[in-house]
Formats: sequence, structure tokens, C-alpha cells
Amino acid sequence: MKQVIVHPERCVGCMQCMLACAASHSKTGTLISAISESPRPRPRIHVGAGLYEEGFPNRCRHCDPAPCQMACLPGAIYRQTITNTVLINPDICINCASCAMACPYGVIRYHADPLAPAAKTIAVKCDNCIARQHRGQIPACVEVCKTGALTFEEMDAAMKKKTDQVARSICAEAVPADNAPGFSLLNTVKRAEKEINLLR
Amino acid sequence: MNYVILGNGIAGVTAAETIRQLDDPGQITLISDETFSPYCRPMISNLLEGAVDLSRLPVRSADFYEKNRITPILGTRAVSLDTDSQRVTTKDGQTHSYDRLLVATGADPRPIDAQGLDLDGVFFMRNIENVQQMINTLADVKHALVLGGGLVGFKAAYSLLRRNIAVTMLIGSGYPLSMQVDETAGQIIQQVLEKNGLTVRTGVFVTAFEGKKRLRTAHLSDGTRFDCDMCVIGKGVFPAHGFVPEKSIDTDAGIMVDDNMQTSVPGIYAAGDVAEHIDIARQQPWVNAIWPEAVAQGRVAGFNMAGYPVAYRGSLSRNVIRIFDTDLMTAGRVSPRDTDEACRFFSASDPARGTYRKLVFKEQILVGFVMINCIEQGGVLTSLIQGRTPVDIAEHNLLDPGFNVSRLMGRLTR
Repeated sequence: MKQVIVHPERCVGCMQCMLACAASHSKTGTLISAISESPRPRPRIHVGAGLYEEGFPNRCRHCDPAPCQMACLPGAIYRQTITNTVLINPDICINCASCAMACPYGVIRYHADPLAPAAKTIAVKCDNCIARQHRGQIPACVEVCKTGALTFEEMDAAMKKKTDQVARSICAEAVPADNAPGFSLLNTVKRAEKEINLLR
Repeated sequence: MNYVILGNGIAGVTAAETIRQLDDPGQITLISDETFSPYCRPMISNLLEGAVDLSRLPVRSADFYEKNRITPILGTRAVSLDTDSQRVTTKDGQTHSYDRLLVATGADPRPIDAQGLDLDGVFFMRNIENVQQMINTLADVKHALVLGGGLVGFKAAYSLLRRNIAVTMLIGSGYPLSMQVDETAGQIIQQVLEKNGLTVRTGVFVTAFEGKKRLRTAHLSDGTRFDCDMCVIGKGVFPAHGFVPEKSIDTDAGIMVDDNMQTSVPGIYAAGDVAEHIDIARQQPWVNAIWPEAVAQGRVAGFNMAGYPVAYRGSLSRNVIRIFDTDLMTAGRVSPRDTDEACRFFSASDPARGTYRKLVFKEQILVGFVMINCIEQGGVLTSLIQGRTPVDIAEHNLLDPGFNVSRLMGRLTR
């Protein structure tokens, strides 16, 4: 089964994944009409700034066992095993924020959602775009990502690719391979700017 | 294997489920005082508030016992335990033998030393039955008294305020939730409640309740009288292990357990509010009677009882509360009574966003925090405490509103 894989070193922080995510979790499903919906659709993937302003697409890891699921008071959080997705039942959620206290990645938000009972504030997070997947599409964040920071792959294949990259870089003769030289340059510039500002 | 589980709270229920997953032919008996099917105890305050109805409280389906082939024995509680003959005796005189025993009996509310505790209108708030009785009397309640500014008192006060009942809270310390938060955060949430009708009085306690059958007046320690038609006593709980033979089973405040949730007697385990393990932030034995730890402990106990050794990493006190438009999250050591001069404190507040954050470090290890509003990243801080991860970035990175998990991984993503 394919999963969304995050390659943080390739993220430029453009936040297009956030827009695409919000649009695909809106009532109308397209960005142009989603912006005038109420409640306004919000993203379930969150691009945060790292220490040196480098981008980082932060989304639910669908942990197993999931700490949010174990902490959920009313039992609203459950795992859909066929898609390996941790989901929140908006009808049962009581917005107690116990999951906020449990999530080690801080990916859960609390607001009214177009796909939940009207005007009810609930916990909202990534659902792996299972509705899109059901229609044969890939998750919206991956589809829109221009830099390859988000990919949709078989976990085993992705692991193998990463292992090979590491293996190539640990040969005594090899200079550590830079898998994303353009991004490294960008992040180095950002970091330098940040450090210079700090010294001021 | 014959398993007996005492208590149908979430620790007992989780343990039973875990055992069933691992030991299909095993015999599981669950003995409990409460007859209601397994429910979410923390949600009784939502029930009192009127935010949810009774049907929302069960956390397992009605056929939970059947489906998991558990023999429930409800409406009675253990009164004695013979560790030599491996038998539990219950209040109704029955005895039950076991191969593996789990004590998940939870805690009982701590009574206060005052006359008239048996009057109608004087309540503890521990289970569904308590809250149902409270709701039945609400119609003619005009003024409620809440004793204690801890979590139970606090939630009771909030729930009653939401029902438009005037509430006066008597607290022993200077501010509410003094066990959980620092003074600044305590004052902020007190102000939120006061704005919504709460009256707080510190340094007084009730000496007697008066009324014919129904509570009418409380006598206070400063000699004054206070007219009220309802009183909720929230002066804490104590672990319910009175039936456990203390000469064979080590007990402190709770029943002492090792990393496998086993007591000092092999084959007997304890989990949930009754168990005492190591507190991660304090690094000493502690009872952390909270829902997520009860789930975690029940799960670990279940694994070990079924013969799969799994270690528990210790518990962490933590809580999250939403009152009116204000959110509060706290974990570990924040209260002045939990901190000392070896702790390093960092705090920041932003009046525009209505936020306040305080972090407590011991050397490079985060040992506690409190945050008011913008609590979404609280879990990241909680997991730093739980992992005892040395924090090697400047503290302001954790305090500022843009804090997110990638700041902790900055070194990894070249």
C-alpha cells in the first residue's frame, strides 16, 4: 500500500500543499470556490519554519499504536486498517484537546470543518485523502508538490531508496552525497541570513 | 490461564482487551462496583455541564463483555485478598480464585471532616451515579458551593456555571489548580471563571452542613454561614486498595508496581489510579491518576499478564482544560511545590493573542510546562518531557508562537 513520504530536505516552504489540502477538504472541492465557503476549509498539513526558516511539511504520521487514539476520551479516534489511516469521527469528538496533549508532532487542529456537523468545533487532522484515493487519485498535497518534498510511494521501495543513498554516502572514498543540492544551497542561504540577523 | 480483573474503569477494560488479543482460550473475569458498561470517567463533567447526554459516555459497545468473552461480575467490590491461596473475596461473600490478578480498582473521593455529609445536595463527583443525582437536583439549585480548586472542583464549578448556576469555590491554597500550574496561569483561569460568575474564597473551609433533609446552609471555618442548595466536594481522591494485604503487597500512596506493572507479589498486577510507578518528570514514585496513563498501564499490564514482557516507561502528570474561550494545558513539574532552585524557568506572554507559556528545565531536560491558549503544539513538549530528550536549542524557540516540531529536528535536516 502506498503512503505519503515526506522529504523535508526538499521543502522550500511554498505552502502549496496547504492550499491543496484545504481545497480538497472543502465542500466544493476546488480552490476558487473553497475560499468563499463557510466555515472556511483549513489545511491538515502544516508547513512550519525550522530553526533557520527552512520549510517543513508537518502532517499526521498515522502512528501505530497512535498516542492520540489511546488518549481520546470519547473514543472518537480510530484506525482504518485497510488504508492504515488514523481517523477522527467528527460526530463523537468533544473537542477536549486530549489528543493535542498526546500528539508528539503537533499536527491536530481544532475548528469547525466543512466535512463535519455544522458549527461544531472538532479535532481535525490528515486523513490520507482517503476520499480521493477511493476515486483513484493520489493525496492532494503530493499531487501539488513541485519539489518532490512529498511523494506517494510504497514504504518498502522508499526505504530501499533511502538506504541506497546512505550506503553510497558512507564509502570511504565518497564525498557525502548531497541528494538535493539546489535545496541545500537555498537552505544555506536562509541559514546564513538568519545567523547574520541574529548577530546584529 | 484464569485472569481476574478488579475494576471496569479504562485500565481494567484495556487490560482485558489486551489479554484477549494475546490469549484466546484464557478465562477472564471482571469484577466491578459500577454496573454501568465501560464509560469515559473524565466525561462526567461534560454530562453535568449538559454538553453530552448519557448515551455518549460508554467507550465500548454494549456487547463488550460478550464479544471479548469476559465474565462480568458487577455491583460488588473486592473486600479481601488472600495471596497464598490466590483468592479474592467480594462484598457479596463470593470468592474467586485466579492465576493472574489485576488490581485496577481506581480511587475513591476523599471525604472531609464536617457534619452533615449525608444531607441531600452534598455530593462527591466520581462516577455517573453521582452526576445523575446532581442533575436530578439541579432544577431548584440557585447557589452551589464547590470545595476544592483541584481538577474535580474546577470542572464541577465550570459545569455548574455553564448551567447558569452561581458558584462559590472555597480553596485552601491561593489560586485554583495549584497542584497543576503556577500562580500566573492559576490567576488567569480564575479570572476567566470569575468573569463568568464564579466567586472564589481562599483560606476558608466548611465545618458543618445544615438543613432538614436537603442542604440549606454551610458553616464556614471563619464562623460565618453560607446559604447554598448544593455542594460538590472535590478534595482529591485516594487509591482504593484498602482490601490489599499490606504485609505481602508493597503499598505507598498507591500499590507499588515494577516496570511490568507487577506488584511485589508475582502474578498480581496493578494499573490505573490505584497503581504507583515512577513519575518521569519527578524521577520518583508517584500516582498519576489520569486517563491516558490508565490506558497505557492497562495495556502494559495486559501484555505482561498474558506472558509477553513489555516495560512501562513511567507516568507523567498532565492535563488539558477548555473553559469558555480559554484553553489550558500543563504537564510535569510547574507548580511551585514541585519545583526548586535547581530548575530553570522560561516564560513568555502575548496579551494580543491571550497566550502565556512557561517552561521548566532541569539542566537540559524539559520537566514541565504550562500553556494558556494556542495549545496545539503542547504534545510536542509533552513528548520531550516523556522522552527526557536533552534540548540543545535556545529556549525561546520553544516559547514563541511559531514553535513546531521541525525546530527540534533542525540539526537533522541539513
